[in-house]
Amino acid sequence: MFRLPAGTYFQSYRQAHSFWPTRFMAFRMIFLLIVLFAVVPFTFSNYALSIANRIGYTILAAMGVQLLIGFTGQLTLGHAAFVAVGAYVSAIFTLTAADNASFSPFWGFLTQTGMAYPLSILLACLIAGLWSVLFGLPSARVKGFGIILTTMAAQFITVDFVIAQYVSQIGGRGHYFSIPPGSLKIGGWALTGDRDAYFLMLILVTGVTVAMINWKRTRPGRAWIAIRDNDIAAEILGVDIVRYKLLAYFAAGMLAGLAGSFWITSLFFVSPEHFVWSNSLWWVGVILIGGVGAVDGTIFGAIFLELMLVLVNSFAVANILFLYFKDIAFGLAVILFLLYEPNGLSYRWWQVKNYFYLWPFSYK
Amino acid sequence: MELLLQLLVSGILVGSIYALVALGWTLIYKSSGVLNLAMGELTLVGAYVCLSLYNNWGVPFPVAVLGSLVMGAILGLLVERLVLRPLIGKPVLTVIMVTVGLSFLLRGLVGLIWGTDTVVFDPPVFPAEPIRIGPLIISPVFLGGFVASLILLAFFVWFFQGTRWGLAMQATADDQMAALSLGVSAKLVYAIAWAIAFMAAGVGGIFLGSINGLNISVGHLGLLVLPAVVLGGLNSVPGAIAGGLIIGVLQNLTGGYLDGFIPGGIKDIFPLAFMAVILLFKPYGLWGWVKIERV
Repeated sequence: MFRLPAGTYFQSYRQAHSFWPTRFMAFRMIFLLIVLFAVVPFTFSNYALSIANRIGYTILAAMGVQLLIGFTGQLTLGHAAFVAVGAYVSAIFTLTAADNASFSPFWGFLTQTGMAYPLSILLACLIAGLWSVLFGLPSARVKGFGIILTTMAAQFITVDFVIAQYVSQIGGRGHYFSIPPGSLKIGGWALTGDRDAYFLMLILVTGVTVAMINWKRTRPGRAWIAIRDNDIAAEILGVDIVRYKLLAYFAAGMLAGLAGSFWITSLFFVSPEHFVWSNSLWWVGVILIGGVGAVDGTIFGAIFLELMLVLVNSFAVANILFLYFKDIAFGLAVILFLLYEPNGLSYRWWQVKNYFYLWPFSYK
Repeated sequence: MELLLQLLVSGILVGSIYALVALGWTLIYKSSGVLNLAMGELTLVGAYVCLSLYNNWGVPFPVAVLGSLVMGAILGLLVERLVLRPLIGKPVLTVIMVTVGLSFLLRGLVGLIWGTDTVVFDPPVFPAEPIRIGPLIISPVFLGGFVASLILLAFFVWFFQGTRWGLAMQATADDQMAALSLGVSAKLVYAIAWAIAFMAAGVGGIFLGSINGLNISVGHLGLLVLPAVVLGGLNSVPGAIAGGLIIGVLQNLTGGYLDGFIPGGIKDIFPLAFMAVILLFKPYGLWGWVKIERV
């Protein structure tokens, strides 16, 4: 919870419940949105925008992890599986038949429909959500480490087996699903460059962030937090824990599907290698560095880790060992944050904000 | 019938290596409650140390294995002291993720030091010629792994049940508070558990790596201990050994029988899928302690 600036008091419940309690906060956020929507895309280079897209993708994907781990307390190490489901569903339904479509061994008649991209996003969310619920079912009986292993199983079964061996054969494109530029359109708006993807990313990230903040204040959100804090006590108080756990898996799967179907706008082709296990671990690292349970923490963590990646990349560019520097940097970042700042970046941000809110009376 | 027998035997031989690594995992969990996800990378480190000693320094193979054991013990002590000890008593997520961070760090370091190419023991330690026992064909690598795993398993079980330090570990696992009040040093126990885990994983890695050559992906084989320990029950030493053997056998049976029907590497994912189903029916594994939770 934030502290209010010195001299600000609530006089009604309406004020206390409002999204931005003070005019200054509203002004600040609207200013930020104006900068992000109107200034950044027209002043930054394409390279910077592509980095912004990566950050946005990481935020979208990590929000699902945040929902499962930070809100519901269900540890997950297989989120990349559901992102992959989203990306593949969206790609399969959006693309039209390939030139050599005469060879199409699996369900070729169902797919290759050339569905509108926004519709395919919805479908991707739905299917990824259901797939996530399937692997969330064991959470009715096991917790903690068992759940971790089930989600790991989801990762390897989905990506390394079902997608790599079977889904990739749909349409006879070989291992990769190449996405020709201009094949993703929203109405008449063709998503061709980094700038178009940037706008879509910003809309999605804003929507998801608002949804996440508000979910915390709804009935399911409070049920999730109750389950996270003490599931037995929650059950005694009448929270249907199985239902709400599965709902959390569904919501997280939907966010993953959204992330996956957004990410194909920035890819030239979809391949199982985009969704390997280390991506799942990377996203858990994002929420740990940002702060577990904090929505803004997801954003800070994503920015921190992706910028760290850019930094490592610039040192080790054109070096085959880049991959290992990346691993080392990530491992060190996670270990050091857990040892020295277990509350994450969002806690630091909270302290900084409070310092200025309460200034000059900064005693508590 | 011969195929079945062949698959069973090679399953048990590979399973014994898994059992050894799983034992290391269980010791850590039993004594300190840490769920270690860095096991795959621990196998890599041990295997690469042994390989460098053998290939580059020309040390005889048994001495190289011994060297890798010593190195494993040192690394285990270091990791416990620097990374895990400050996190005693922290939430599960923190401790698990610190081992994930550790696994990334170790994998990166291994990649930096030893590169990405697949390397083999040169000159070969085990003859390529298979041993024939009746209808069975057994590769000497598997047999060597089996014998070494049996020796180490026996040694660790003896250590755990017969020595003063092993008894201290059992006491800590049973009731940490009581053990502390009787003068058992929990720090020592944790350190020993990590050293043993590194040593066991390293030896497992040496033999897993000499089957098809050693590269980063051998670390994924090390991950197969997780189904094994879940199957056996997280905190049971005999359970870990049995779980390792069962996973090895299952993996070989699915590779032999199911692969024809569902092609595409079902061998690698079947242990995980099997474990997910087992968890639904026996959440505490076959021999794990059933935990009764209260508010």
